[in-house]
Amino acid sequence: MPKWYKSNSTEMEHTKAIKNTLHLTPFVFVLLYLSSLLVVTIPVTHTVEIRQMQFTPAELTVNKGDKVVFVNKDIVTHDVTEASGKLWQSPALTSGKSWSMVITRSQAYYCSYHPVMKGKILIR
Amino acid sequence: MKKLKAFSALASGLLLSVTVLLLPASGQNTPKLSDAEVAHTAVTANQIDIDYAKLAKERSKNADVLKFAETMASDHKAVIDQAVALVTKLGVTPKENSVSKQLLADAEKTRKTLRTKSGAAFDRAYIDNEVAYHKAVIAAVEGLLIPESENAELKGLLQSIVPALNAHLEHAQMVQKQLNGNGTHKGH
Repeated sequence: MPKWYKSNSTEMEHTKAIKNTLHLTPFVFVLLYLSSLLVVTIPVTHTVEIRQMQFTPAELTVNKGDKVVFVNKDIVTHDVTEASGKLWQSPALTSGKSWSMVITRSQAYYCSYHPVMKGKILIR
Repeated sequence: MKKLKAFSALASGLLLSVTVLLLPASGQNTPKLSDAEVAHTAVTANQIDIDYAKLAKERSKNADVLKFAETMASDHKAVIDQAVALVTKLGVTPKENSVSKQLLADAEKTRKTLRTKSGAAFDRAYIDNEVAYHKAVIAAVEGLLIPESENAELKGLLQSIVPALNAHLEHAQMVQKQLNGNGTHKGH
């Protein structure tokens, strides 16, 4: 069998294979779209250190659904209390303890033990 | 007239405490303190504020004053615990000295005056004392205890408590403003 015949046959098989998979194209696009959505919504964990009587960073911008971990690196006890004092409040965080929350809205907060310590979380 | 006399007594007591603490910061007649004496003075200054807080918890009904007193008791105890852990590690025994003795004597006079008051008058006197006391302690820590410390860890501990003392002072001034603003008991 001539070599050209074999080569031509392979080319035809490739063409056929491509034609057979063409109908899958929309699904590929849908998968790509969904995967791009997944990349955007994967929650990120941020850390706010409580050190030297300050929340650091004092202002943090996050995506909705991200998690923020507050770590007390001071020797005194602190907490994290929503600005109005009514919506949420962490337990007392003694030295070395941490507490986390998922952020669903922009909010200001303070330490109820030391009301001069203030911080803010903003949704991007 | 009685009120004026009581205020004068309190003011004199406060002035004495503040003067004793501020004297070293003036640069003249600065007492020479060993690390053992610095440690004793630091622990004494913290214990004095815990004792003031205890008095506030006994005599006040104001939510802001009580919350402030609770924080003072907790924070100053944490500082004492750190200081005790450090001197234990360093093998230093805190030593009583002229500064710590004077602090205790003045604090007793202030407590005596505070015990004569009740209600809103007590709240104002307690918070006024806290403002003056923290100003004096900050000046003493920065102007005497830190410069006199030879051990780096002791100096580091004293430096690390200055932000807490400043936060206490701001907190006390905040409560002082609230008390002077309405002069009545306030709760949340």
